[in-house]
Amino acid sequence: MTVKEFRLPDVGEGVAEGELVSWLVAPGDRVEEDQPVAEVETDKALVEVPSSYDGVVEELFVEEGEVVPVGDVIISFRVGGADGASADAESGDTKPTDAEPDDSEPTSVEAESGSPSRRTFAPPSVRRLARELGVDLSAVDGSGPGGRVDERDVREHADAEGSDPDEDDATDPKPVEMDTGDRKSAVSKRGSAEGAGATTAAEPGSGPEPAGRDRTLSTPATRKLANDLGVDLDDVPTDETREGEAFVAEEHVRAYAEASARPDDEAAPPAGEGGSGVETEPTPADPATDAPGETIPYRGVRRTIGERMEQSKFTAPHVTHHDTAEVDALVAARERLKPRAAEVGVKLTYLPFVMKAVLAGLREYPILNSELREEAEEIVLKDEYHFGVAVATDAGLMVPVIEDVDEKGLFELAAEVSDLASRARDRSLAPEELRGSTFTLTNFGAIGGEYATPIINYPETAVLGLGAVEKRPVVRERSGDGTGHEVVPASTLPLSLSIDHRVVDGAVAAEFANVVMDHLEEPLLLLNE
Amino acid sequence: MVVGDISTGTEVLVIGAGPGGYVAAIRAAQKGLDVTLVEKDAYGGACLNRGCIPSKALITASGLAHEAGTAEEMGIHADPAVDLARMIEWKEGVVDRLTGGVEKLCKANGVNLIEGAASFVDDQTVRVAHGGDGQGSESIEFEHAIVATGSRPVEIPGFSFADEHVWNSAAALSAESVPDRLVVGGGGYIGMELATVYAKLGADVTVVEMLEDVLDPYEDDVKRVVRKRAEDLGIEFSFGEGATGWSEASDGGYLVHTETEAGEESTYPADRVLVAVGREPVTDGLDLERAGIETDDRGFIETDDRTRSAVEHVHAVGDVAGEPMLAHAASKEGIVAAETIAGEPAALDQRAIPAAVFTDPEIGTVGMTETDAEEAGFDVAVGEMPFNASGRALTTGHTDGFVRIVADADEGFVLGAQIVGPEASELIAEVGLAIEMGATLEDVAATVHTHPTLSEAVMEAAENAQGQAIHTLNR
Ligand SMILES: Cc1cc2nc3c(=O)[nH]c(=O)nc-3n(C[C@H](O)[C@H](O)[C@H](O)COP(=O)(O)OP(=O)(O)OC[C@H]3O[C@@H](n4cnc5c(N)ncnc54)[C@H](O)[C@@H]3O)c2cc1C
Repeated sequence: MTVKEFRLPDVGEGVAEGELVSWLVAPGDRVEEDQPVAEVETDKALVEVPSSYDGVVEELFVEEGEVVPVGDVIISFRVGGADGASADAESGDTKPTDAEPDDSEPTSVEAESGSPSRRTFAPPSVRRLARELGVDLSAVDGSGPGGRVDERDVREHADAEGSDPDEDDATDPKPVEMDTGDRKSAVSKRGSAEGAGATTAAEPGSGPEPAGRDRTLSTPATRKLANDLGVDLDDVPTDETREGEAFVAEEHVRAYAEASARPDDEAAPPAGEGGSGVETEPTPADPATDAPGETIPYRGVRRTIGERMEQSKFTAPHVTHHDTAEVDALVAARERLKPRAAEVGVKLTYLPFVMKAVLAGLREYPILNSELREEAEEIVLKDEYHFGVAVATDAGLMVPVIEDVDEKGLFELAAEVSDLASRARDRSLAPEELRGSTFTLTNFGAIGGEYATPIINYPETAVLGLGAVEKRPVVRERSGDGTGHEVVPASTLPLSLSIDHRVVDGAVAAEFANVVMDHLEEPLLLLNE
Repeated sequence: MVVGDISTGTEVLVIGAGPGGYVAAIRAAQKGLDVTLVEKDAYGGACLNRGCIPSKALITASGLAHEAGTAEEMGIHADPAVDLARMIEWKEGVVDRLTGGVEKLCKANGVNLIEGAASFVDDQTVRVAHGGDGQGSESIEFEHAIVATGSRPVEIPGFSFADEHVWNSAAALSAESVPDRLVVGGGGYIGMELATVYAKLGADVTVVEMLEDVLDPYEDDVKRVVRKRAEDLGIEFSFGEGATGWSEASDGGYLVHTETEAGEESTYPADRVLVAVGREPVTDGLDLERAGIETDDRGFIETDDRTRSAVEHVHAVGDVAGEPMLAHAASKEGIVAAETIAGEPAALDQRAIPAAVFTDPEIGTVGMTETDAEEAGFDVAVGEMPFNASGRALTTGHTDGFVRIVADADEGFVLGAQIVGPEASELIAEVGLAIEMGATLEDVAATVHTHPTLSEAVMEAAENAQGQAIHTLNR
């Protein structure tokens, strides 16, 4: 078995370099000849780079987003893997980018097999290690009785076989933890460039130097703490030993986690303060890490919601416009229509009225019924009026969509809203029913409150939040004599309109809000819609 | 706060919460992946709800009753009265505890649980139909999927499980009363385990088997021990006949019709007939083809040694991925699937998967038989220890059977074992470890075993293979 390096091939006439846009494989993946392994963008095109080998991905040498000159090594493969498959894959390729000659001795491509009785005897842990190091067990000379293979045999074999001296650090196999690795070692990777620079110049960009032991003893409670803090016990410095093995106690873990996690500015000591960049001494425990409390997994629907919020709020600069509609007339109108709605089995809320009022506003200011397509550098004005309605459910927020609000009557809208909302709560909505809205309404007032700063349902341009309809004090001209003002109770509806300021300015938002309010204050106008 | 279109997404979608699926889901969650587990029926799958666990519960309970009633030799005179309803209730209690535990473990590990039947929309999406009226459905997008939909009993022509008097294994495990006469179609391990249960509960049991003996995959001397004991329990056997149908009998019961290959017909009177002729994979309704997955001619999903199907990011584990259709094989595959998805170098690299049959006495096997080893080219050493030479076996009153250990004669590496006798299902574990660790006969023989235990028989068999047994004559 050999390791083959693979260089960025010449992907088109005269192209000297390309940006590695994305890896399509990860270390440990089995690839077949001609299977695409990476996407590379040149100034001409986006191309997929195919593998020249059958084998297992050993290492990726280039980060996504890096610009790579043609001819640079980007990936290595182990070919003729543990299962002895296709050890001769490298011979078939004629591309100029074929692997350079193996710089280790031309070992490998072992005669796989032998007699049937020569099966390799090795315990499961050793078999796994062999896979991890890419070692073909049948090629290892076992040192145990009858040729039984143990851990040391496998490591020695890997060392002897490895070509690159940097890579064969046997105590640090490169397991294929592309996903989890980051999470586990997040703490030891962060930390202060400057702070560390003072003492560990050799390793900028890290906190205290990880001890990197193979084996560490500790109590279960300490292991749990380390786990909670995301600390690898083998990295925690300690002087204590038990039975000749390094022993780590809780305070070591805390100190290490703290020192590693301290952000740059805090960790950089004020000039002249002794200059001992990194503190490895225990420091007073941070109450936050001291009492980690309950952890709730950030997953599933919760995370989906979170990701959407992030995307919206970090992409679209939000401005929220607040105003209040006086809605005595609307209240009266709804009271009159309610029994009629009930006759046809519909529960009439304020929402259908608001939808119609918003419709009026959007017709006058279509820019609020739009979507900014950043890539295409264009704003698309929608000619459909599909309104999302936010519904709180046990699983989290859902936004079912009422289509074609302009084509539906009040009762129809009311019926549809209540149907969608109840199905959102029992999670039986079809995915189509959650897609395609052009403008969104969120009725937080149903729970209580006046104003909020709603987050836009990206990539829409605006979202309207509704407070509770309640009697509130308003100032009016004193009736009759026209000589002064009075404070009177009136039903009001507080409105919170968030807009994407990239697409539209605050003045337009205010004008739109005025149209909406106008229609809410004089509901007869809704007959137009 | 507002969120758009939620079609839920997950990194790992697991379909089916049997021993393959739930183990995969928990391990994947332990690896930090976002996992959704969809189950349409009951957590724990066939194994916990209508397989391993309920059958072992009834085997123990009926065995206890039978043993208490047949221990005059030890000076115990008893005539136990069995309340089958209560026995079944106890069994359900055991099942509930375990299935409840599975659900809790999944939640505690952060697995999202969804109840419903999943089917593929394409190779990145499933649709989950929720049970019950108007429950609707939802779609879930996944990066990786693990299909663990298990298997179900095969129906044969002439017998419909919809008929009350026609049982499958699930029905036999929740019977309301002990039938006077039970005909069992199929002498495989499930048929034999349940035949034993009902014989011990007092039914007249007849096993009808197409082949010439019971428990087809096992060696003759292993089968013989179990069949002899079954005959002692009053179970009758008819070999070389297949059940073809039934008719109503004049006494209010039924007649089960059988036929030999030569066309000779017979009938057997029965009150219930248990059809236990095998299990078939469950893939219908999954719309596998929409994900680009084909099944083989027996309906199984073909997988590689990392449990991947032809569509790499869709794995299949457990009964649906083929033989051996055993719960622990399913779980091991589940672990490999989860770790592979997490990017770890896991593989199905076990040397052997043990198997147990919970008849009276039990059978436990692992690895190669003598014949297997010879065929594989080994120079074979075999050692045996009969239980009638075991002190502990004598004190339990169960001395039928033996331990046989198979090894490589040159280096002494242990290659396999066949145990038939008391607690064989437990005893086999030691040999499993020996095989995986590459232990030799010497290693097993030189390990001190507690006296007096049945496990000494394993040590003795290893010594016997070396020609140095103390308590048996060396062959
Ligand atoms: C009577 C009997 C005794 C047995 N005894 C033993 C024993 O002693 N030892 C042993 O090792 N094995 C035993 N087995 C076999 C063992 O039960 C199976 O090997 C094991 O259950 C297989 O596990 P699995 O995860 O592959 O599938 P299963 O346990 O069958 O689980 C599959 C699950 O998937 C669900 N499902 C199917 N389709 C869908 C879908 N489309 N959407 C959502 N969910 C779906 C099913 O409802 C089920 O819960 C026994 C079996 C029987 C019948």
